[in-house]
Amino acid sequence: MTERTLTAPRAEHRRATDPLDRARRIRGRRRMRAADLMVALCWTSVAAAVSLWLAYGGLGQVTDLASGLTAAGIVTGLVGTDLILVMLVLAARIPVIDRVVGQDTAMAFHRRLGKPALYLILAHGVLLTIGYAMTDGVTVVAETVGLFRGTDMVLAYLALALLVAVVVTSVVAVRRRFSYEAWHLIHLLSYLAVLTAVPHQLSAGGVLAAGSLQRVYWIALYVLAFGSIAVFRFLVPAVRSARHDIRVAGVEAVAPGVVSLHLRGKGLDRLQTHGGQYAIWRFWTGATWWHAHPISFSAVPTATSARITVRDLGSGSAAISRVRPGTRVSIEGPYGVFTDSHRVAPKVAVIAAGIGITPVRSFLEHSALRPGEATVILRGSDPAQTYLWHEIGELRSMRGNAVYTMLGARPRGLATWMSAEALARGVTITTAFPDLLNSDLYVCGPQSWADLVIRDARAAGLPEAQIHVERFDW
Amino acid sequence: MRARALALSILSSAAVIAVGWQLGTQGQVGTATDASAGTAPAPTGAAGTPAASPPAAASSSGSAPAPTTAPTTAPTTAPSTQAPAATGVSGTFTGASASTRFGDVQVQITVQNGTITDVVALHLTDRDSRSVSISNRAAPMLRQQVLAAQSAKIQGVSGATYTSEGYLSSLQSALDLAGL
Repeated sequence: MTERTLTAPRAEHRRATDPLDRARRIRGRRRMRAADLMVALCWTSVAAAVSLWLAYGGLGQVTDLASGLTAAGIVTGLVGTDLILVMLVLAARIPVIDRVVGQDTAMAFHRRLGKPALYLILAHGVLLTIGYAMTDGVTVVAETVGLFRGTDMVLAYLALALLVAVVVTSVVAVRRRFSYEAWHLIHLLSYLAVLTAVPHQLSAGGVLAAGSLQRVYWIALYVLAFGSIAVFRFLVPAVRSARHDIRVAGVEAVAPGVVSLHLRGKGLDRLQTHGGQYAIWRFWTGATWWHAHPISFSAVPTATSARITVRDLGSGSAAISRVRPGTRVSIEGPYGVFTDSHRVAPKVAVIAAGIGITPVRSFLEHSALRPGEATVILRGSDPAQTYLWHEIGELRSMRGNAVYTMLGARPRGLATWMSAEALARGVTITTAFPDLLNSDLYVCGPQSWADLVIRDARAAGLPEAQIHVERFDW
Repeated sequence: MRARALALSILSSAAVIAVGWQLGTQGQVGTATDASAGTAPAPTGAAGTPAASPPAAASSSGSAPAPTTAPTTAPTTAPSTQAPAATGVSGTFTGASASTRFGDVQVQITVQNGTITDVVALHLTDRDSRSVSISNRAAPMLRQQVLAAQSAKIQGVSGATYTSEGYLSSLQSALDLAGL
């Protein structure tokens, strides 16, 4: 911490002198502002959900315990549903969200909202049932049976059941038991869950009554969430895939279990891929069409060709290595903020491990680097993991920039990202990257490994804004 | 969360909440029947509400403190023969059916010498089981309020907004028929 405050003014001074660095800093600030605005928008929508109830005059209806419980039930329902809609928006891959914070950050937030949303919706059901039962002077069981009499309410219970299924299967421990595809299929039920809950929202209770502004706002929220899903997850990818007519041109084994897929297509440069980005690919063969895979570009696409490199992490990606030339490929993307445009510091420190080399390679290819601007460390536990390494030194942008390699397994029982040999030599993140605090750090590799790199960088005083990470665990 | 994002979130959330709250309290004054009935909705009709009622009201309501659990069509024969208002209409008058989003509401009033002696709900909100239970709870209270007030100027029942509105609307048309 002290070190950071000591070095900051000096770095600040140096940055201010270079127009490129200034532009970067301004861009970074603008992005931060946009990110803060998005966060505020999320929480304001929660406040708006409560406000719907307030504007309806909900407070005035709270007179005793029963009406208090009923009111709490209404508010939890509104807030819970709002959170679910926010989750849908976050998962919709809206370009501006991806550009500003990155789809992975958005999805991390999406995952964090899952359980709170479910608890709120469960509380909604429980509180309202108890509140109604107390008002009517009947037992909770009798009230529940009574509630089941309307079609809208039966649908609402169905929505609740679906929601429980979706969230439970997404809890990490449970999710591991499913294949990604099975989990994803269950997860798609969340669309159905959110939709089957709509009738009872509009027919029961008075907050969203016909003709009210609340109803208009609520429906607009639904339209926004489902509209962005429809447009950005389905329509745009479909149009893009059709327009670019991407096919497999060749499959090249670059290491055991690692293949580069050479793709050809029309106007691929119009995808405006930034080096370091990934796309979600679907290969239209009998064995592979039903699952899509996020795979990084290992080279910046030209007008007619692109290259992606994949390691078989699952049965699905193993099947990809067997696709034949000519296979039709559809694309969702490109996505990701592991790019040059997200830099904020004058220098860049890059470290990649294993398959993490792929976005790092295209990132470096796409960066306009001056001599001495970049320091690159390539990390592998054995010689089989050195694929694409030779290409790094050959990149034009890497002229005058240093590439180091660190080969060898990590020492047993120690939480470190380094090889045992490097650790014994006394290497640290600051000796590996001498100008670290004045650099953007780009990390790509297995999550547990990347976390250790970031831990060391933070300990050395590197600000969050200068840490860029791309993970390969999904 | 960054400090600025937090501050921004709190600020705009507070603004949105304040607007909602403001709209809510305005609505209470302006329209909603039951929102303003903030205070105990339960046994209103009995002894309270002295002010604006005609003289007959006090006695007629005093003798009918029926426990509110009674079903809507309770045949409570009202204590009629009190202070005959000289020349008043008599008879039963059926109000127009008022439709609400939870079902139609229609009431019938019995008038003797210009005094409302009974209100019978011919139809109440019944779109789903929840509406039926709300109606069953609200109807006796509404009836008592009307008998006490001798007009459609009553508070309504908290938590039964639509039933109350429909009830009052149908009641008003019945009162119009009776010329009260």
